[in-house]
Amino acid sequence: MHRLFAKQIARATDATGKVDIDQLAALVGGAYDEFDRDRRRTDRSMSLMIEEIDGKNRNLQQLVAERTCELQARERDLQAQNVRFDIAINNMTQGLLLYDSSAGLIVCNERYLAMYGLSREVVKPGLSLRDLVLHRKEMGTFRGDVDEYLAAVMHGVAIGTTSEILTETPDGRSILIVNKPVVGGGWVATHEDVTERRRSEERIRHLAHYDALTDLPNRALFHERLREELARIAPGDQLAVLYIDVDEFKTVNDTLGHLVGDELLKAVGSSLRGCTKSCEFVARLGGDEFAIVKARVKTPADVAHLVARVLKSIRVPFDCLGHRVTTDASIGVAMAPEHGADLDQILKNADLAMYAAKSAGRRTWRFFEPEMDARVKARRNLEIDLRQAIADGALDIHYQPCVNLHDDGITGCEALVRWRHPERGMISPAEFIPIAEETGLINELGEWVLTKACTEAMTWPENIKLAVNVSPVQFRSGSLALKVIAALAASRLPASRLELEITEAVLIRDDDTALAILHQLRGIGVKIALDDFGTGYSSLSYLQRFPFDKIKIDRCFINDIAEPEGSSCIVKAVVNIAAARHMVTIAEGVETLRQHELLRSLGCEEMQGYLFSPAVPAAQIRQLLHSTLDDKAVA
Amino acid sequence: MHSQQMIWNSQAGWTPSAVNPEEVSLVFYFGPREMLACGKRYRELREMFPAAHLLGCSTGGQINNSDVTDEEIVAAAISFRSTQLRLIRREINDPLQSRQCGEEIGRALIDDRLAGIFVLSDGLNVNGSELVNGLVDAIGPDIPLTGGLAGDGANFKETLVGGDCAPRPRLVVGIGFYGTAIKIGHGSAGGWDLFGPRRKVTRSAGNVLFELDGEPALDLYERYLGPEDSKGLPGSALLFPIEVHDPEQPDSSVMRTVLAVDRKSRSMTFAGDVPQGWTAQLMRGNFDRLAEGAADAARQARTSLQESGHDDQFSILVSCIGRRLLMGQRSTDETEAAGAELGSDTLRVGFYSYGEISPHAKSGICELHNQTMTVTSFTEVEA
Repeated sequence: MHRLFAKQIARATDATGKVDIDQLAALVGGAYDEFDRDRRRTDRSMSLMIEEIDGKNRNLQQLVAERTCELQARERDLQAQNVRFDIAINNMTQGLLLYDSSAGLIVCNERYLAMYGLSREVVKPGLSLRDLVLHRKEMGTFRGDVDEYLAAVMHGVAIGTTSEILTETPDGRSILIVNKPVVGGGWVATHEDVTERRRSEERIRHLAHYDALTDLPNRALFHERLREELARIAPGDQLAVLYIDVDEFKTVNDTLGHLVGDELLKAVGSSLRGCTKSCEFVARLGGDEFAIVKARVKTPADVAHLVARVLKSIRVPFDCLGHRVTTDASIGVAMAPEHGADLDQILKNADLAMYAAKSAGRRTWRFFEPEMDARVKARRNLEIDLRQAIADGALDIHYQPCVNLHDDGITGCEALVRWRHPERGMISPAEFIPIAEETGLINELGEWVLTKACTEAMTWPENIKLAVNVSPVQFRSGSLALKVIAALAASRLPASRLELEITEAVLIRDDDTALAILHQLRGIGVKIALDDFGTGYSSLSYLQRFPFDKIKIDRCFINDIAEPEGSSCIVKAVVNIAAARHMVTIAEGVETLRQHELLRSLGCEEMQGYLFSPAVPAAQIRQLLHSTLDDKAVA
Repeated sequence: MHSQQMIWNSQAGWTPSAVNPEEVSLVFYFGPREMLACGKRYRELREMFPAAHLLGCSTGGQINNSDVTDEEIVAAAISFRSTQLRLIRREINDPLQSRQCGEEIGRALIDDRLAGIFVLSDGLNVNGSELVNGLVDAIGPDIPLTGGLAGDGANFKETLVGGDCAPRPRLVVGIGFYGTAIKIGHGSAGGWDLFGPRRKVTRSAGNVLFELDGEPALDLYERYLGPEDSKGLPGSALLFPIEVHDPEQPDSSVMRTVLAVDRKSRSMTFAGDVPQGWTAQLMRGNFDRLAEGAADAARQARTSLQESGHDDQFSILVSCIGRRLLMGQRSTDETEAAGAELGSDTLRVGFYSYGEISPHAKSGICELHNQTMTVTSFTEVEA
């Protein structure tokens, strides 16, 4: 019997054992109802649950499908990114390796393999750094101790700092290896071929300290070396600094061209290097200036011997691009500590000594002397005074007449500048004109003379010409013709009455600008005279290059014209050449009647000199010209 | 310790007569609300046992050994040899005072010799979880705390509790057992089966559940109950209790049963907290496995007492009203299964409740349970 039914019977049975059928039926019926209800609930809940789980399942399936799509898209992105990453790392100019925290290779790019001629078969992910280096050693692309190299790399990685290692490969390349730790352990290594860069750096370093033309140390290195040597002069020792200036280098450059000039400098540099000892430091300071530092000088004789060697080596004729070039040098020597122990002082003193050697006529050498400094200072003072004098209009112009040798009539006057210094009295143009030329003051001075002389000439009789000297420096400015035109216009002096005297220096350089200016001047009617003819080079080619109106025969030929074996034949030759080219000749410095007579007999046309009149102030020449005119009128 | 059982019904009154009533120090009594509400039964007991603490409540059915009855009051009168008792009662007017109420009772009962507490509480106007938390706050996690929430059949209208007073609503009573002689064993188990998908508590406040997976909780229940059972809400919701757990601690799962529904807000009020963000899963009962659950609870209680080595025992069985509603006449399956474990010589009384109080079988921390069978066994050893 079912346990529940037994209970139901027990419950429906009273104390006498009688079963209440109605109660039993109610209990049994109730139980059936309960079972039915429970079954219905179970059915309902089961089907709902299945429905719900189905729904959840569908949602899940949809979610999985969406996630799968997302993952696929992400994978595609990742692949594209990987391709880009591969392209990027394989097109780097550096070799690249990525290691994990246990020094196992993760990534290696193509450039790395190419740098060391390695195979992808061997260098693959998982390969340890040690095995890679050992492999390279075997293949001959690693030089050095493997353990030491590994220790160096791992030390940097271990302490978490970026390390750089510069290695040399057996085939002579310089490779810079940078190991940089990355987050999460491991590191990235880049290998860069810095061979070219290092060579360039070396070249730049060399260029910074060496002269490109001669490959001698340059001024910077010279100063550096001199400073070092000055700091370690032993007691009792001296240090000599030689400043060497190649004589007439400018002339070589001007006449034979820059290429030959450069060859000459190279040859001189090479000779200097050849004639000096290892303790003597040779440098090129620039232009035609060289220098030597000689340490541990015991006696002046040590320096004299060095100078002798230098001069000897420079005086050897050099073959420069097929030209045999002979040159010489002016050398200044300053001693330290005797002439000063500081760098600037010793350099300045050597320079002064060199200029002293130049002033002494070149081809020689001089020790520095304190007076040299004084002379330079005096010259500088003179420059200051001259500048002031020009500004104040304190200069004066004197005029010397030029005379026709046939009738002794005045044909013109040469304007000559004069300077009366308030303290020193009259100063020779030979002293102040070079200063004016060096400083550029000549432009201002020349313009002033021209303007003032033109104005003055307008007070003279109309047949009297005006001769004005023009310095080669004035030709360099390029505005000379304009200034002449301006002076003529301002004074109203006809161009035909103006004669400009130039020296051969204007033409010595094959200067198209100067020639163009001369032609412009000639074009407006100004006459051009060649001054000081017969001195210097006096190349006849100048006469061909420009058709001068007049040639001035230098006074040195006139001085001895009356002497037996004198210069009369030279004067004659010049007169003949001039006549042939329709040029007038004028002789300078005529002081005697004898000279006067000779010149006339030789066919020279004009003269200038004390015999007739020295240069005199403007008022005086005006008086002279008008009295001469009056004389003529009387005659 | 000596225990004797008494029954009251309308035909016979209290039977059998008590033996040595003056020695009785504690009487438990459980009955239908209608039989207790007048206070007459209490006064009769008080007259019979003038020296005893009288502790009782209304129920959803009485357990009398293996029988389950609706038409009688069941009582057990206990005489202790040396165990002392202290009874504390507190009125509660607002469920929000539940924790405070628990704390007050705990503090009033705690002392060095406290060996255990049994609590009866109003079943409708108290947040049982908070009441237990308050008690545990005061007495700590190591003292056994068991008991239950009073019931009102399937009506959910009014529950009564009495503690040395006539049973009345809004009362919480705790009785403390003191001394080294008393030994208390306990066990708690459900035997319910999980079914259906796991759901997320997407909206809740305390013990009021609004939404599961974004859907009103009441909609879900009504769907599962069907039109017929839905009329019986909230009682019928007991057919489908839920198990809730913190998703971070899957072992901490507790069962929750419905106390009330609000058709307007589509919400359901449970006998304990249903925290937002926790995972919830519906449960359903199978007669056999529910009976096995009851046996399991009894086994736990017996095992913990056997460690003390004593046989003369008395047990209180507190089972959930939901189980009774589901099992109907088969409810005796579980009382029999528990009785088989506890032994036929152990006096067993108890009731169907709106919530069971017992330490968690796994964590050992006392909690409010729903839909479980909770067994508390007492014995006394030589002091």
